[in-house]
Amino acid sequence: MVNLRPRRSCRTLPVRLVVDQGGDEEDSERESSEEERQDVEFPDGDPVAEPMADENEDEVEDDEAPEEVTFASAQAEAKEDERRLRDALRRDKELLKEKRKRREELFTEQKKRKLLPATILEELTTAPQTKINESSSELKKGNVENENKEKKEEKMFPKRVKKRYMACRLKDQDLIDLRQQAAKGFLQKYLYGRGSNRTTVNKFLSLNNKRLLVKKPAVQFVNNSWGMERKQNAKKFKKQWMHKKKLASRRPNII
Amino acid sequence: MAAAERGASRPTGDNRTSRRRRPPPLTLSAHFRLRGVGDYFRGQSARTWCEVEAGWGGERTIVRDAGLEAGARNPEADGGMGEFKVHRVRFFNYVPVGIRCVAYNHQSNRLAVSRVDGTVEIYNLAANSFQEKFFPGHEGRATEALCWAKGQRLFSAGLNGDIIEYDLEKMSVKYSVDGFGGPIWSMAADPSGSYLAIGCEDGSVKLFQVSPDKIQLERTLERQKGRILSLSWHPSGTHIAVGSIDYIAVLDAKSGSTTQKMLMDKRHPGSQRRRCVVWGVAFLSDGTVVSTDSAGMVQFWDSETGTLVQTHPLTSSDVLSIAVAEKEDSLVVGTAEGTIFHFQLIPSRSDGKQSQWVRTKPFQHHTHDVRSVAHSPTALISGGVDAHLVIRPLMEKVEVKNYDAALRKITFPHRRLISCAKKMQLLLFQFPQRLELWRLGATDAAGKNEDILPLSRNAEHLLQLKKKGPENICCSCISPCGSWIAYSTASRFYLYRMNYENNSVSIKRVSKLPKFLSSAFQILFSGDSAMLYVASNQGSLHVIQLLEGSLKHLHTFQPQSGTSEAISLLAVSPDGNWLAAAGMSSGVSIYNLKHLKPHCMVPAYNFPVTALAIAPNTNNLVIAHSDQQVFEFSIPQKQYTDWSRKVQKHGLHYLWLERDTPITHITFHPKRPTHILLHDTYMFCIIDKSMPLPDDKTPLFNQLSLREASENVRRRHAHAFKISKKFQPLLFMDLLDEGTLVAVERPLEDIIAQLPPPIKRKKFGT
Repeated sequence: MVNLRPRRSCRTLPVRLVVDQGGDEEDSERESSEEERQDVEFPDGDPVAEPMADENEDEVEDDEAPEEVTFASAQAEAKEDERRLRDALRRDKELLKEKRKRREELFTEQKKRKLLPATILEELTTAPQTKINESSSELKKGNVENENKEKKEEKMFPKRVKKRYMACRLKDQDLIDLRQQAAKGFLQKYLYGRGSNRTTVNKFLSLNNKRLLVKKPAVQFVNNSWGMERKQNAKKFKKQWMHKKKLASRRPNII
Repeated sequence: MAAAERGASRPTGDNRTSRRRRPPPLTLSAHFRLRGVGDYFRGQSARTWCEVEAGWGGERTIVRDAGLEAGARNPEADGGMGEFKVHRVRFFNYVPVGIRCVAYNHQSNRLAVSRVDGTVEIYNLAANSFQEKFFPGHEGRATEALCWAKGQRLFSAGLNGDIIEYDLEKMSVKYSVDGFGGPIWSMAADPSGSYLAIGCEDGSVKLFQVSPDKIQLERTLERQKGRILSLSWHPSGTHIAVGSIDYIAVLDAKSGSTTQKMLMDKRHPGSQRRRCVVWGVAFLSDGTVVSTDSAGMVQFWDSETGTLVQTHPLTSSDVLSIAVAEKEDSLVVGTAEGTIFHFQLIPSRSDGKQSQWVRTKPFQHHTHDVRSVAHSPTALISGGVDAHLVIRPLMEKVEVKNYDAALRKITFPHRRLISCAKKMQLLLFQFPQRLELWRLGATDAAGKNEDILPLSRNAEHLLQLKKKGPENICCSCISPCGSWIAYSTASRFYLYRMNYENNSVSIKRVSKLPKFLSSAFQILFSGDSAMLYVASNQGSLHVIQLLEGSLKHLHTFQPQSGTSEAISLLAVSPDGNWLAAAGMSSGVSIYNLKHLKPHCMVPAYNFPVTALAIAPNTNNLVIAHSDQQVFEFSIPQKQYTDWSRKVQKHGLHYLWLERDTPITHITFHPKRPTHILLHDTYMFCIIDKSMPLPDDKTPLFNQLSLREASENVRRRHAHAFKISKKFQPLLFMDLLDEGTLVAVERPLEDIIAQLPPPIKRKKFGT
């Protein structure tokens, strides 16, 4: 199939070739951009002038006169620029301010979060007071007022003390649990582990039954599907072992 | 039931498979488990006449689990025992917890027993080995050592690294002290009782001084390599022998240094893979150290020179425990095979100057490992994984050959674990970790004597209530109408309101309990379920009125004369006017509930009370004591009744007095005021007060023989005690209504089937 190239590429191809020959890449880029601009500008500009412009492209750019700007427009532009700059600065400042403010709020909130609830704090502050009061009341038992106060506070105090929990450090508890586990593991290993020569309850209970005149059914029945994998492994091992034995018995004959 | 019938009624394998396919219980929430009614016994309805009523009895399948049995005894032929339908319940799946330590106290002749779950029990050997006191277990407390110090103070230590002292009067834990050496494996008090030595996981031996109200760390002795598994003081209190893995060391208690180290022989048969663990040591006053180890040896060492003197290879399995008599002329060791061996010091020369340790007697009373042994002056005591506590008297030490010299095997607790709501036919089973509520089956059939009746409705497991927190349940009760359930742990009290609508059960916890209800030793509901009586700590007794959805505290009875002893048993009269409370060792006090004041005290008796009940109408209080005496006390008249005086004058039958389990429950027949129904673990008895008392010449257990005898003979030989031994081991028996009894049995084989694996032994002919 033949793809018809667009017209424009047909036209630009020689230029590009020329440029390639020249070996200047920058030029080619500029050229292409120029071309695009020209393409865009094509409807406005004179189509006849195009080949000429193409020819002395560099000269045209160099010779272009500085744009004429009136003073008023320049001033307006400058003012605009200045205003924009000021605005940007102010906005930056405001942003910074806001950021700071937000951070401040976060800090305070964090601080609040770290603190215990107000009720607990209150009680904590009252708790040592009761102790002091108690000791002081012990010192001067005659003071009725003090005793009254103490009673009041004692009433408040047990409300918190009589909780159903006990405080402990989790780190220690973990260690205790770990050691306890190790100790239990030791016991288990030495009493019920490998080499401890244990039997199953079922076998143990069947001992008496075997010697009885009237045979009874076993106490616990065994499900045949239990230990399938182990049974298969044992079968495989037996096969291998027999095979090995066979080989070993054959060997002296060969040698 | 004939034996042939029994054999024929055994279920086939098909029934078992159907049982295995039983759907798992519905789990509704973390705390409660309700079981859907009706789906529980699916697939078991098609059975023949004899075996319809099979229920669920753990792994083992036994016919007649929740069966109704027409225990139809002909009234005349029986001499008036009566005719009852019996619900024979075998679905109480209770497994006693294995024993870890036993410790004997010479001063008070008491025995402390600790179990694997942290339960500690005190047995009074002088009072017929009755289990007097009981501290419920705790998940965090794996007790490994138990000892008495300073007279009668009890300490325990465990793998959580704490030493605990128990308050034997208030029935609570006094305090716990951290040993700071990791898990504690062994503990022993010095001969004077003022120091405790503990052997820790990290190899240190620590001495604690026992002061009147606490213990304090005094010194840490030289640290050894490996955990200290056993420990023994020299009778002079100067040295300590410790056993660890592969060695025994002798430490100086004063300076704390190691004076001698004896290495175990590593060439024992069978020990190639495993190291030699010294499970027990005993230090004798002549400087001999006796060790028991995992190689199955009992070895005698000279602690001066560190040499091996004597070796006794006992078994191929571990020798786990050792105890020496106070006189040091005999010692006992317990092995993992369940055998205990008695060693005696026997003069080897005729002039008696030289003597030698000789292995004399083996005893096989256990099926599983004997984890702990003790030596009382007259008996060998052993306890192990199979949960039997065996007290084996030494015949050469017993002076009077009476019934005290007989072997005793204690398996079941001497307190009630079951309560019954008679009208609703509900049973509440108390396990250490949970409660179970069951509804009994029902039958429409009628039969003649000894028939097994088919069930028209099977027994249903209505509810399982799991305890919260690490503490085990210490007591529980269901109200007679079945609408309240209460239970208590060592620190919390729980009350639940039950609601039964056709085929469904709902449960609601009563959340607003008064503050003083923090724990209870005994709970009881009144006959009309309107009142709750709670025996709380320090001997106080609370009377609480139960209203729909709320409680009203009416009164608290404080213990008299400043004693703070805990109350062990409660009984209320059916009309709700009288309340009797028995202390752990003090007497029975009676309170008037109408006027809320103490009424009187029953005259003191030396032996602890094992069961208590107040008869309807007459308000006679029947008290059973641990020495098997039964008293009847008239509450309105404040004196013993004439019948009770007659019994005391006449004396009870010698076979009655020789029973070795206490009476745990007493009840009365509503229509026959002369009858008292009571039971222990091995018999059920109806005492007919109108009949003559038996003397020692008449046979006590003559029910079966009298049935076949002629009218004349029957009349001549009938006596007041009608005893049935058909239901064994009997944990609970109660009268549901006039003609129906419920009996809860727990066969020993079912328990063995759920224990840890035993040691393999070769038996001839198997």
